[in-house]
Amino acid sequence: MRLLVAMLLIAMIMPIASAENVIKIGVIGPMETKYGTAMEHAVKLAADEINEHGGILGKKIEVVVADTKLDQNTATSEFRRLVVDEGCKVIIGGFSSGVALSMLDTMADLAREGHKVIWLGDASSPRLTDKVAQDYEHYKYFFRPLGLNASTFPLDMVAMLDFLRSQGLNIKKVAIIRDNALWTDDVMKVFKPLLEKHGYEIAMDEKAERGQTDFSSFLLKAQEKADVIVPILAHVRGDSLVKQWADMKIRIPIAGHDLSAIDPDYWKATDGKCFGEIYTADGGGVPIPINDKMKHFLDAYKAKYGHLPEAYSAYGCYDAVYLYKEAVEMAAKAGEKNPFDPDVLVKYLEKFNRTHPFEGVRGKIAFTKNHDLVWGDGFVRNWICQWQKGKQVVLYPKYMATGKLVLPDWIKPSGAKETVKKEEKGTPGFEVAVGLTGLALAYAIRRKRN
Amino acid sequence: MKWLALISLIILAILPFFAPQSVVYLLGLTFIFVVYVVSWDLIAGYAGQINLGHTVFIGIGAYTTALLQNPERLGIAIPHLPIFVTIILGGLMAVAFGFAIGAICLRLKGYYLALVTAILPLICIQLLNVYSDVFGGYEGFSIGFENSLASSLMAEYYISLIFMLICIVAIVYVVRSPLGIKLKAIREDEELAEAVGVDVVKYKLIAFCLSAFFAGLAGAVMVHYRITVGPDLFDIPLMLMIILAAVIGGLGTIYGPIVGAFLIYLAKNYVFVWIVQKLSLNVSDEIFLYILLIIIILKSPEGIFEKVRRMFS
Amino acid sequence: MLEVLIYGIIIGSIWALVSSGFSLVFGVARILNFAHGIFFVLGAYFAILLYPYLGFFSIIPAVLLVGAFGWIVYRFLISPIKQYEVMVILITLALALLVKEILLAIFKDISQSYPSLVSGLVTVAGVPVPTNRLMILGIAIVVIICLDLFIRRTKVGKFIMATSQDMEASMLVGIDVEWVYSVTMMISAILASLAGILYAQIYAVNPATAFRVLIYAFAIVILGGLGSVRGSIIASFIIGFIQVAISMFYEPRWAEIAALATIIFILIVRPKGLFGVE
Repeated sequence: MRLLVAMLLIAMIMPIASAENVIKIGVIGPMETKYGTAMEHAVKLAADEINEHGGILGKKIEVVVADTKLDQNTATSEFRRLVVDEGCKVIIGGFSSGVALSMLDTMADLAREGHKVIWLGDASSPRLTDKVAQDYEHYKYFFRPLGLNASTFPLDMVAMLDFLRSQGLNIKKVAIIRDNALWTDDVMKVFKPLLEKHGYEIAMDEKAERGQTDFSSFLLKAQEKADVIVPILAHVRGDSLVKQWADMKIRIPIAGHDLSAIDPDYWKATDGKCFGEIYTADGGGVPIPINDKMKHFLDAYKAKYGHLPEAYSAYGCYDAVYLYKEAVEMAAKAGEKNPFDPDVLVKYLEKFNRTHPFEGVRGKIAFTKNHDLVWGDGFVRNWICQWQKGKQVVLYPKYMATGKLVLPDWIKPSGAKETVKKEEKGTPGFEVAVGLTGLALAYAIRRKRN
Repeated sequence: MKWLALISLIILAILPFFAPQSVVYLLGLTFIFVVYVVSWDLIAGYAGQINLGHTVFIGIGAYTTALLQNPERLGIAIPHLPIFVTIILGGLMAVAFGFAIGAICLRLKGYYLALVTAILPLICIQLLNVYSDVFGGYEGFSIGFENSLASSLMAEYYISLIFMLICIVAIVYVVRSPLGIKLKAIREDEELAEAVGVDVVKYKLIAFCLSAFFAGLAGAVMVHYRITVGPDLFDIPLMLMIILAAVIGGLGTIYGPIVGAFLIYLAKNYVFVWIVQKLSLNVSDEIFLYILLIIIILKSPEGIFEKVRRMFS
Repeated sequence: MLEVLIYGIIIGSIWALVSSGFSLVFGVARILNFAHGIFFVLGAYFAILLYPYLGFFSIIPAVLLVGAFGWIVYRFLISPIKQYEVMVILITLALALLVKEILLAIFKDISQSYPSLVSGLVTVAGVPVPTNRLMILGIAIVVIICLDLFIRRTKVGKFIMATSQDMEASMLVGIDVEWVYSVTMMISAILASLAGILYAQIYAVNPATAFRVLIYAFAIVILGGLGSVRGSIIASFIIGFIQVAISMFYEPRWAEIAALATIIFILIVRPKGLFGVE
């Protein structure tokens, strides 16, 4: 008890040291998941590289890490800690739109209290950047260079379904399995009319809970009703979904937005069961060297951490640090007195637009008026990829493709429902199971009588 | 004792003028946490009803005011109400639930009451997830920074401080009134109390509703203080923290739990975080709470309040 | 409908393993162990960790390790405070959260699965069922019959029975009651960890699974009657069916609420459960 009081006093009195020639970058994300660790690793890698070359305007970067735990209370108080206690001038990260929206209000609240900070964020809901449009004065410090707006995902997903159709799959009915989270609601708002426009029909729309591991009922229902399973998952990991899909030999393919499928160790994690899964790679974050910057990034990452970036979020975070550096240097060059001042930086970050993009590892980075990423060819977009024999292959768009579509042998390409008839005759397995259960019941009843 | 309280109060009143802002912010949260703990002490310490679902009331108060401030989530048109009205409505909503839960559960004896009330918050969390378009699911939602308690941190701090003082005074008044004496009688021996003509069920229910009211208010104030609402307000870790604070301070003493609440809340946010950082452990600081709770239970399972009471008086 | 039946039996058999141990501990030692779900996930994680070295033999050390953990938990955490029932709830709850946080720190918030013991698909009465799931049913039945035989036929089992019927009388005839409780806890932990491994083999586990499992186990033993092992085995299949039926015909999210509501309803209306023997 007394020890506790004493420690408390010491901890409260301890002054917060802040050196002048250091610029602090905060990284905030769900550090209990791969998405978070990838953010931290990527930012630290970029910071090390920049520090080796003299830092930003001579100031060394110091990285401060905070964990959201995917919980708005922890996230907002950690955001506060980064800004107020640590004195970070820029924060990189996010994840989970619902949590990010809370942090966004905290950011605005802090700005009102005089603690302004640039936030280079993640999380895909359009509501985040809508806030910038609605109340520019308070929310202008938020930019989203890490990931695309969720309203762009449907464009790529419908392109994916069209592509599968063109490959001879008879797809009409779609079974959606999605996160029970804000961002998928926003995806669905755009996805639904777009699907209908392209002649698809939503046969099933189910929400998966965070931490859910049993997907059998979803898979059985989808097999009965639809021609393709479209997962829209980020908070729920797809590992166990594809494992059960392969174990149960579900006769329809999986093709959707499964964030965990981007991880390079996904093949190992699913024991190779992800063979044939088709997915859109959020914001082009796949470990495939599509340009020199990407190649350098992948090599450097591997050299520093011994493996490829563990999740999609690494790419955007790496870009974000360099983006910040470039904006600060632009501001200094333009003669700004305080190039690190968030109010000043907003102007210079906004200068990265369609005509003057920033070259990142995933392609060109440019902001729209609402501080969203520009989507499209050459810019950041979601590649359509597939897992094949331990390797990730880009299928679409054509100019990017590194391979051709392959389907697992239990999936019949010419439409699932028509060709496969229900097998009528039972196998001995059932009789054995019934027999065993009967025996057990008889045993139990006999015992109870005794 | 009185002087000690007065001095700490004066310190708290002038603190925002020289303390760093992060400390001020955290103290504001601590004041609200104190109300959680004291209101739990009213039902668990005074009336002797082990309610492990106190967070239900906190959460209901919190979500009531959050939804009333964001009526578009409910899909119905409600005129925009001032914050203090919705906070009180949050408290009243908690009373309504407290009455319903109490009427059903309070006839269960100690152990079973603990079990049933321990399950209730879990149901609430599941319902939040199922109706995620209204409640925001596990991500929670932000009530908008324009709905915060006040527009400056210092004002928020003082509102929170005054709120805590009002609640403490009210609860102390309750336990010193004839009602409080009857509650103590029920705690000591329910059958005897009934035999001497105390309407046990009625008074237990009154205590339950009062406890729910203050918890609901505190939950609602918390939402406006930190401008976000989420299932953490219902969750087991918060409940364990409340229990830990009350047990450290001394159940059934009101003043003890206040000290306990300050200690635990500040320790969690300073000492535990500091240990985790110093040892560069990759774990949540919450594990120290659980370790502390386990140690305390093992050292004195009957509740260490007797010992602490002697130490403080 | 047949699908519900088959998949319900399979998930029910996993629940039977989990809840029989949970129920046994309550029946014998009057302990409501909120850390039971931890045994479940720890079993799965140990088996996954040891798999690269031992292959499928990793199940054996994993189960034994968790058994030892159960013994330690009883001896050092529960035994000293056993007479304070509410404190037992609190301490096991705190332990469960503690272990969950440690697991989160080590394994991260990632679902991990154990490699399938067997592969392939069997068509059962027109319903294709993966062989690894069917196998679980067999294993569960064998294990439960073994448990029954163990309790009825062996000396240790008879001690356990005697203690559960009359603790004081057992002490008088020279049974070391504390030892019996420890053994019971160990058996319960072993059963739960085996269930965890089997579960991880078809689905996956993550640290939060501990609490989901706890909710189902809790619902089952309360439905079956606290302390009645047989009642809880029957209730396991009932809950299994309900769970699968709700998932198939409605939404899986409601299955957990149904389980929770069952707990409260039974506790309030009929605390001894459907087959209670109190």
